[in-house]
Amino acid sequence: MTAPATPAATPTRPVSARPSRSGGTRRGEAGAGWLFVSPVILILGTFLLVPVLMALWVSFSDWSGRGSPLSSNVNFVGLDNYASITSGGLATRDFGTALRNNAWYVLLVVPLQTALSLFLAVLVSRRMLRARGFFRTAFYFPSVTSSVAITVLWLFLFSFAGPVNALIAWFGGEGPNWFREPTGLVHAALASVGITSGPDVLTQNTALGLSWWDWLAGPSVAMFALILMAVFTTSGTFMLLFIAALQNVGYELTEAAMMDGANAWQRFWRITLPQLRPTLFTVITLGLIGCWQVFDQIYTGTKGDPAKTTMTPAYLSYTSAFRDNEWGVGAAIAFILFLIIIAFTIFQRWVLRDRPVSRRRIRAYQSATYRKGAAS
Amino acid sequence: MKRHTARTLLATGGLAVVTVLTLTGCGQGFSDTPDPSGSASGDAGSLTSSDDALTVMIGSSGDAETKAVQDAVAAWSADSGIDADVVAATNLTEQLAQGFAAGSPPDLFYLSTDQLAGYADNGSLQAYGDLLANKDDFYESLVTNFTYDDTFYCAPKDFSTLQLIINEGLWTDAGLTEADIPTTWDQLASVAEKLTTGDTTGLVFGGEYARIGAFMAQAGGRLVSEDGTTAEADSDANVEALGYVQEHLKDGTFAYAADVGAGWGGEAFGKELGAMTIEGNWITGALGDYPDVKPLVVELPAGPAGQGTLQFTNCWGMAADSPNQQGVLDLVEYLTSAEQQLAFSKAFGPMPSVQSAADQWKTDNPDLVAFLDGSAYAQGVPTNKGAADVVTDFNAQLGSLKTGDPKAILDSVQTNLEAVVG
Amino acid sequence: MTDTTLAQAETLAADPASVPPPRRRRRTLGGVSGQILLYAMIALLALVYIYPFLVQVATSFKTEQEAASNPISLLPQTFSIAAYERLFLNSDFPLWFANSAVVTILVTLGRVFFVSLAGYALARLHFRGRGVVFALVVGVMAVPTVVLLIPKFLVLNQIGIYDSYTGMVLPLLVDAAGVFIMKNFFESIPTSVEEQARIDGAGTFRVFWSIVLPMARPALITIIILSFQGSWNELSHFIVATQSPELTTLTKGVASLASGQLSQGTQYPLKLAAAAIMTIPVAVLFFIFQKRIMNTSEGAVKG
Repeated sequence: MTAPATPAATPTRPVSARPSRSGGTRRGEAGAGWLFVSPVILILGTFLLVPVLMALWVSFSDWSGRGSPLSSNVNFVGLDNYASITSGGLATRDFGTALRNNAWYVLLVVPLQTALSLFLAVLVSRRMLRARGFFRTAFYFPSVTSSVAITVLWLFLFSFAGPVNALIAWFGGEGPNWFREPTGLVHAALASVGITSGPDVLTQNTALGLSWWDWLAGPSVAMFALILMAVFTTSGTFMLLFIAALQNVGYELTEAAMMDGANAWQRFWRITLPQLRPTLFTVITLGLIGCWQVFDQIYTGTKGDPAKTTMTPAYLSYTSAFRDNEWGVGAAIAFILFLIIIAFTIFQRWVLRDRPVSRRRIRAYQSATYRKGAAS
Repeated sequence: MKRHTARTLLATGGLAVVTVLTLTGCGQGFSDTPDPSGSASGDAGSLTSSDDALTVMIGSSGDAETKAVQDAVAAWSADSGIDADVVAATNLTEQLAQGFAAGSPPDLFYLSTDQLAGYADNGSLQAYGDLLANKDDFYESLVTNFTYDDTFYCAPKDFSTLQLIINEGLWTDAGLTEADIPTTWDQLASVAEKLTTGDTTGLVFGGEYARIGAFMAQAGGRLVSEDGTTAEADSDANVEALGYVQEHLKDGTFAYAADVGAGWGGEAFGKELGAMTIEGNWITGALGDYPDVKPLVVELPAGPAGQGTLQFTNCWGMAADSPNQQGVLDLVEYLTSAEQQLAFSKAFGPMPSVQSAADQWKTDNPDLVAFLDGSAYAQGVPTNKGAADVVTDFNAQLGSLKTGDPKAILDSVQTNLEAVVG
Repeated sequence: MTDTTLAQAETLAADPASVPPPRRRRRTLGGVSGQILLYAMIALLALVYIYPFLVQVATSFKTEQEAASNPISLLPQTFSIAAYERLFLNSDFPLWFANSAVVTILVTLGRVFFVSLAGYALARLHFRGRGVVFALVVGVMAVPTVVLLIPKFLVLNQIGIYDSYTGMVLPLLVDAAGVFIMKNFFESIPTSVEEQARIDGAGTFRVFWSIVLPMARPALITIIILSFQGSWNELSHFIVATQSPELTTLTKGVASLASGQLSQGTQYPLKLAAAAIMTIPVAVLFFIFQKRIMNTSEGAVKG
């Protein structure tokens, strides 16, 4: 996520529809039109559409990595690949671990980055701020860099003898060996109050090869460092989106609320935030889509270590195919991930939908207006 | 909107079908690769031959190794008249996998024991072991490592064993002498304790099966039986070995390299974060970066079942898709000859895989004799298909051995292995 | 007046009992102390965002021992360019840089051309199936890249451009988001000039090339920036598209550095130097065009 991507909108009829004139100036336009879009169609079709279909086929086949997957020796095996990652054994446990890691990552990154970018946007948009441009630049700069460069930098910052631990030591504490520490944060927190193992109902029952106790282990310390890195690099991009949206928020409502005595928090929560709803939706959607695909950082930095706590489904898909020669399994993982992303996006859209105003409110509003006397 | 959607789907679907059909046509053109089950039997006389230049892909441990291999291959090229190019892979596993899938693998490449089964199974490899002129010269255990499905696939290119490396300076500083060199587990523990001072831990090694397995061997245990048919991970011997390691990780005399801030045992040793380490032959090359440290190589102590250590080896894999396999065979015979292997050993450390070079090697490397002696009681790592994944998982669990339960860890490894071996 | 009533109504409706008595309040947050707090907070945050890059550059000029023993300091005790020497003289770094440069330039030029063509066609030209094509473009934007890792490799193979510059550049030549941006832009400019040109007899391509395109400079610059950034920082595509060392780009090369090539051990000055140099071109582009980058997202939200 290095560039602000425009949100995927539903296709609308083109606004500039003009009555088409036949002949004359419009002749050859259809031909030109098709000619102009043909490179786009060709390339998108070949390198985006067809691969998806091919991967779908591979996920239902037993292609072993040699020759063409469309050749005649490759057989259709139905849901075998999907079964191997959901019904038991080491492959299932790896998949479950990857899902758990990524789920915690999403759970922490999306709210943190949304909140932080909104906070930064509000700070930077304050009317009385000098050097606004400098601050905006500072906050946005990390988003411009490559994930590889940032990962290398982060590996240094959070190394055992690196700046972060040195800083912690300066405050008198002792930093963990960040990228080598596999303990989950939730487990660590529970252990600090004395709970070191879960109740039987959690440890004895498993889902996808992991006990429920392990599912609730939280992100590992290593994963947490990666979470911080994600928030660091993407908050700038989303900050820009929020700044633009904030500029659209009309000042009159806020002014009126101020005169009525609403304090800053109330103003923000009840007036500004609801108007930011579309941008909020965009930011959260983009965040979700991006977070479920964590790959570059894992490939460059931790490669799943320590103890597979930074393994993500995207990376697992890659290693299953390119390292273990299990191409069908790798494709299956990729598709399940695709479905997960779609599910989350739809769910999130449903949660943030514009709800109709409740009847109670309508009644209260009407009676209030009536009581006050309708303004002319 | 509904009409729009329907049209969209129809058009997209049509486009997709057309493209897939076209590609299928292309695909057929590409699938002149041999039937996967066919060429794996490696019958003699079926090697391809042509004038094509060869590509050799290696996973180098550093500049010394790359240069040595390049020089050797160049010499052979000049002699035989066949061009050959050496490529040092940045990520050998990934590049090999991509090469095979793309149908354009290197002709000759480093192949590790855990990859053999997978590639042999899907027909990517050409078995040529029985065609080698010097096939009787290889150590028996190495040949076993590279025999899959009763076929001797590839020539072992060298091997290493693990032994104990001691920092001579820190050793004498702690008041220890040659008589104190540990020969049992208890002695090792007490020596490690004496050597643990300040920032230095007595014994530092990588937190993985590839090092801890030595202790398991010394206790008499192994992951998979010698004939590769039974999983033995949960044996009492293994539990005892892990318990021993855990005990000393807890009391601070042993440590994992990662936990002291080093990438591997050799780095910890070189930076004197550890006074002793368990490593293989390759450490000699790596210690070039740390000239102030003087290493002493001694045999690992004996455990409850006697001496034991692990042995690592790679072989020269030959691609089934190579157009000039005859040339490759010739090159391999050259590279595995005694003189060439001794030259490699001098350049970057590992031991020759041929027995005829043993005596000369001992004379050339009197300080490293312990490594070669280890071959008498060394265990190989499991070579079954899928065992590598199990070992990766084992390593992941070993990472938290300090606070974990050895029996539980080994039980889970046993379960995973049974799925793979059985 | 209506506004106040509205606001009152809203607060009343939300919680009738809670409307606080009107107080005299200043506009800004509590005056001077509020200002100081604001500046302190924002300065601290800015420091947190800038410091990692400063320490990165500083460490690249330190020796390895110093990097391990004194990681926080921004001034090396012994200034050393050993890392840069190693990087430029003893490794393939210059090759990686050259490959990245070639690919990025080709992709940027190609994208600008193809994407503006397609955007114009979708915005202005009428042809059957225009809606379908646009739907395809939008739909493609929704496919997450992770799904494409394995299959792109397969397709590149089948077509035969695996492990070549073509394979690296071709799939990146078109970007659905870029088409979207250009289409939106073209729709927002008035058609009068084009109409005039057509009446004067210019052909479609001529109208596009000589009239419309020059008007599209702001959007084109956006595309250039996004393409440059996108292709310079691209990693997963190059992983699956190439295997020869001669085709390694900066991202792939630095990633392999991070995992310990060029010898074992943690060589932070070297790795950080590589990462720093890798960041320079995008940083330069960013600083030159930052006003535009900042304003684009406003356009994205508004439009």
